[in-house]
Amino acid sequence: MARHVGIVGIGQTHHSRRRTDVSQAGLVREAVDRALADAKLTIEEIDSVVVATGPVLFGAVNMPEKWVVDAIGARLKPVVRITSGGGTGLAGALAGYYQIAGGQHERVLVVAYDKLSEGALQYSISTLYDPFWGREFAVGIMGFSAAYWRARMDVLGHTEEAAAMVSVKNHKNALKNPYAHVKKEVTVEDVMKSRPLAWPIKLLDVPPISDGAAAIVLSSEKLAAHSTDRPAWIRGMGYFCEADNAAARSMLVSEPLALAARRVYRSAGITNPRRQFDVVEVQEPYTCFELSYYESLGLCAPGEAAELIASGATEIDGDIPVNPSGGCMGANPIGAAALVRLIEAAAQVMGKAGDHQVPNAKLALAQAGGGWANLRGVAVVSA
Amino acid sequence: MLLAPDTHPIDRPPLKSTLSMPYTLTPGRAAGVFLAEAKNRRLVGARCVSSGLVSVPAQDFCPATGGSEMELVEAPETGTITGFTQTAAGIIATLRIDGADFDCVHRILEASFDELEIGARVEAVWAEETTQSILAVVGFRLAPGAPVGEVRPLQHAAEPLPMVPYHLDLHYEHAFGPFYGRMFDEIGTNRRLIGVRSTAIDGALLPPREVDDISYTKTGTWMTVPDTGTVRAMSVIHLEFKGQKEKPPYIYAEIQLDGAVTRLIHSVKGIDMSRASELVKPGTRVRAVWSDARTGALSDISHFEPVPDGDEAASL
Repeated sequence: MARHVGIVGIGQTHHSRRRTDVSQAGLVREAVDRALADAKLTIEEIDSVVVATGPVLFGAVNMPEKWVVDAIGARLKPVVRITSGGGTGLAGALAGYYQIAGGQHERVLVVAYDKLSEGALQYSISTLYDPFWGREFAVGIMGFSAAYWRARMDVLGHTEEAAAMVSVKNHKNALKNPYAHVKKEVTVEDVMKSRPLAWPIKLLDVPPISDGAAAIVLSSEKLAAHSTDRPAWIRGMGYFCEADNAAARSMLVSEPLALAARRVYRSAGITNPRRQFDVVEVQEPYTCFELSYYESLGLCAPGEAAELIASGATEIDGDIPVNPSGGCMGANPIGAAALVRLIEAAAQVMGKAGDHQVPNAKLALAQAGGGWANLRGVAVVSA
Repeated sequence: MLLAPDTHPIDRPPLKSTLSMPYTLTPGRAAGVFLAEAKNRRLVGARCVSSGLVSVPAQDFCPATGGSEMELVEAPETGTITGFTQTAAGIIATLRIDGADFDCVHRILEASFDELEIGARVEAVWAEETTQSILAVVGFRLAPGAPVGEVRPLQHAAEPLPMVPYHLDLHYEHAFGPFYGRMFDEIGTNRRLIGVRSTAIDGALLPPREVDDISYTKTGTWMTVPDTGTVRAMSVIHLEFKGQKEKPPYIYAEIQLDGAVTRLIHSVKGIDMSRASELVKPGTRVRAVWSDARTGALSDISHFEPVPDGDEAASL
């Protein structure tokens, strides 16, 4: 029987387009100091460390965990590095969760970061394509993501206007998030008229490129009370994949996300996600994905995402708020982004989300994903 | 019907690929000051206030304790060899700068391997031209009897260098393997697209693979598909970025070739690009336009172009 695991400390940097005052390791240290302070712990009281980062090509440092452990004072502790593209932060949290749920450790520190200002982003991401088969046409995952959004338009009605509403909502929410660095209100018209980058994806459908780090302290039930009387309990967490280029891949509804959600909802006792969740945080690398996730996560039926966003239900004061933090639109340090989503979901049920707190949030859903949409995960946390 | 590839291995030289990646790395405060002070010919270290331990070159965090309150110090230019090795590029040594508690790595100059020993005294050799890098010190040379120096507070520290340009050229040689080898050989030699028959669904898998992704059983039956197909997903690329192979604007397309059950990634051209989103959509019929090249790569197809209405029968 797996042991209960709680998030007892959270921390993130004030993300920015470029931090020239700290190195990659210094950035991590800031987030770790904040998470440890939040958990009322020192690094000495941490049993094990998980370091999660995006592709090595982003920052030109191979095995950055060896650098990071020195910078956070974690030498001689167990350490593993996890990397899984955009979903890295959630995959890292899952690795930490297993260590406690399985009885190996009592407290695990999970750190995730990327300092995207340092490398060539789209070039680096494009290397996820098969070098023989398609890489010469890759535009990171932007070209690919835009292409399947175009396909979903016809079949599921995910219009440019609907995606623009996601941009408007998330930009507006980010204004209240002290850690976001894009603080700009936009209108549907602004989004529609913004420069096409990979049409139908336009500039304002795209999150910023960010430097940032995030950290959480996971604790066993036994020791959680030392840190807080209100942990965010992990009720379920999963990370699923689908085959890279298999015959069955339709890319219309995200199959791995639907699978992950089904599995995790079962363990968390979720039968009606729209009604049961108080708040949802999704990792939207482009606005079109937030629409797709509404459907894959069961917040609405396939084909109803445009209606859901238009109804206002996913606004911060709606019945199913999605990304009250502003999501990736406020900041997008890719390796950290998925952990930031989990942190924001945890902050909501811990009652410490500040100006973007959803009143009385007790049950929250976080979603993340990586690869070219073939790796998808979810986590459910509760008060 | 063709035979399984293991009975007809195709020996192709590997695909050569180079990634040429530019970076602007941020050294952070301590290393930033170290690099900035290199032009003043000063070696900058850092002392951890809580542990008292000194690192040279300077670090933002104590390597032993993780302490973050660090005061910068000026280190002496002398030290002791703690280990050394001969490489093709010269002698590399681990060194303990006088007053430091941790080793660093640098070159040993003007000495033969046989002259060196653990514990030998050395001194820094500065480059003639100042550079803001660790190579401002070209290396260290033997300095028998050099007095043991001391670290002292760093006076008037320069502003840290905020960014350092960096570059990685990564050269790869990717093996084709028998399945890819066979497919690309057919593309280069016969201008023919072949995959393997899926063992789960009626149709061809391209690129060909040894095991079907859905049934997990071995494939092995080759299946030729025509160079016509249907666009399943498309976007119009305007973004320009470092490393891009195609010149925007172009259409990124995922095309299901007739008879295939997977997608081929390519570009669609030969249309009025100002009307790209009207002219090409999911469902648009396209055909390959072959280039003059016969290199055995996907680029032997120059691009795909829409099949004009009523022209379909002629192309098949």
